[in-house]
Amino acid sequence: MSRALDSVRTRPYGIALAMALGLLIANVVARSSFATLSSWPATLATFAPFALAAMASTPAIISGGGGIDISIGPLLNLVNIVIVAVLIPHGLGSPWVAIPIALALGAAVGAVNGVLVTVFRYQSVLATLCTLFVLEGVSLKVVPQPTSGSAAWLTHLGAKIGPVPGALILIAAPLLVWIGLGRTAYLRSLFSVGGDDTASFSAGVNVTAVRILAFTIGGTFAGIAGIALAAVTQTADATQALQYTLPALAAVAIGGTSLLGGRGSLLGSVAGAAIMFLIQTLLDSLTVSDLWLQVVYGALLLLAIVLGSVLSAPHRTRAEPI
Amino acid sequence: MSAVRDELTTSSDRPPLKARVGNLQRRFPLFQLMAVVVLFEWGTWTITDFATKQSVFSMLVAASFLGLAGAGQTIVVLIGGIDFSIPAFISAGAIVMSELTGTNGWGFVPALVLIVVLALALGAVNGYIAHRFRVQPLVVTLGMASIVTGAVLVWTKAQPTGSPPAFLGRLSSVTGTIFGIGIPPIVIIWAVVAILAGVVLRRTLTGRRVYATGANPVAAELALVPTRRIWVGTYAASALIAALLGVLIAGYAGSGNVTLGDPYLFEGLAAVIVGGTAFGARGDYWRTVLGALLLTVLSTVLVGKGYGTADQEIIFGLLILVVVAGYGREPRLRDRI
Repeated sequence: MSRALDSVRTRPYGIALAMALGLLIANVVARSSFATLSSWPATLATFAPFALAAMASTPAIISGGGGIDISIGPLLNLVNIVIVAVLIPHGLGSPWVAIPIALALGAAVGAVNGVLVTVFRYQSVLATLCTLFVLEGVSLKVVPQPTSGSAAWLTHLGAKIGPVPGALILIAAPLLVWIGLGRTAYLRSLFSVGGDDTASFSAGVNVTAVRILAFTIGGTFAGIAGIALAAVTQTADATQALQYTLPALAAVAIGGTSLLGGRGSLLGSVAGAAIMFLIQTLLDSLTVSDLWLQVVYGALLLLAIVLGSVLSAPHRTRAEPI
Repeated sequence: MSAVRDELTTSSDRPPLKARVGNLQRRFPLFQLMAVVVLFEWGTWTITDFATKQSVFSMLVAASFLGLAGAGQTIVVLIGGIDFSIPAFISAGAIVMSELTGTNGWGFVPALVLIVVLALALGAVNGYIAHRFRVQPLVVTLGMASIVTGAVLVWTKAQPTGSPPAFLGRLSSVTGTIFGIGIPPIVIIWAVVAILAGVVLRRTLTGRRVYATGANPVAAELALVPTRRIWVGTYAASALIAALLGVLIAGYAGSGNVTLGDPYLFEGLAAVIVGGTAFGARGDYWRTVLGALLLTVLSTVLVGKGYGTADQEIIFGLLILVVVAGYGREPRLRDRI
């Protein structure tokens, strides 16, 4: 028992997964219909863009050096806009065309961020803040007014593909990519660069390439998030650019990923996003008045992060002379 | 032998120009200042009525709001944190002042005292939680932002109606005067805050402790710097400045609402970073002042040239990169080994 407990406590995402599970049970207790299978596709579809935004924010943060990508929110919104307001009206709405374009757009913007941070040596907060402004501007140019557009495959993704909820496939895609990367040397390089970039550089790791790739992977995940957003809203709205930006970063942090880099996991970010999402659904189920919703949500967010810190394996927290 | 020594001394006396400029830039925000001047001149020569008193004053008023929004963020960034609850405190300050004086009939001073006390207390909670539990200030301040905004919604039943006392509006009016001088009073307030922040950060024990905490928290603690008190105090100060800015903005806007502070989150952060302050004890408030001026002049130029909102944002983002390329970049990895 205590060994199982320890393995939860020492893994950075263990606590987050446990809390997410607890909240899931609380949700089912509060409203038993939450557990019915038929409601899952819709619930997961609402959850997917947020979970994917959190996953998209993770690689840049793990890559360290103050790495953070605050342009993920506007990027996924732009991908959504391009699918709904550009590709579908122009007859390019078939999934075989739209999905590659969405992923390529995400990857391209991510790569630009990566190059700005590594080759041009901007601080990543500043570089991605500028990207954020540019992406917001471009979104507004493409759709000055919210428009909607739909395609059969999007509706399926928002509901079910065969027996599987479409959102589940979208959420699983980055995790599979991540597991695949784990079989290459890349993930090790990424964590080593995040832990100590100068030491990695001295050891012969191509820090620049590793970081650019981290931002590119994040951008690609943001592309998937854009597809998920298009599936659930089927609306292009430039004013929604910032809705996922900060919550996604919070989800990454709650998921046990250190914002200092070198420590964290993609699964943790999904768990972190799940915690924030499930707190909201729980408050909805308990019919907390709309007015109180934000207060309780904020308080629970603080509670979750404090609890995660208290429960996780003790690491040196105060100065100790060596 | 002596010739060699002479050569050595002369070469060490006169380092290359690039190194000297770099040294100066580290101590004094030379490029930032030049960028502000160049942008202003660009506006003056290409846009009619850009440099009139009216236009300069309205730029200064806008820069004051932005600069004050970046004040708290600057000190928080200096200790290695970040504060995303600033917009919530701005909105809350605006609404509480408007409601108490406009709807509930409170006097200005009691309302102000209440705002000061609440902001200090809630800001201190931010700093305490982040430091005591070693958790990401990003999440803590987001949670606090949600609590503050929510509390205001609950209190006003989501429909704030009051309006602040009229004299508050004159503080940020372009035609306002202070002590008979024809300068918008908020600009003077900003200048006083800037001088205070400059003196406190550079010339007092507290200021040195702020830098020590940001540069290396472990070393600071070993050197008996009370890092927790610094964190609590810094976040309390950040919340206080934001709430008081909210009071000023309420006067400017004539009322308060929960989204009033939102534009100041990313733009305030941009002012801090464009100014050249970076996470962990690099920079000071003067740089943020220049950053705020730079961003305000830049967006005024873009508006003056008749770009639409979308184009403005795109060019704004690109131009920040161009401007900051001159000074705000990280050292090469191979130079850090």
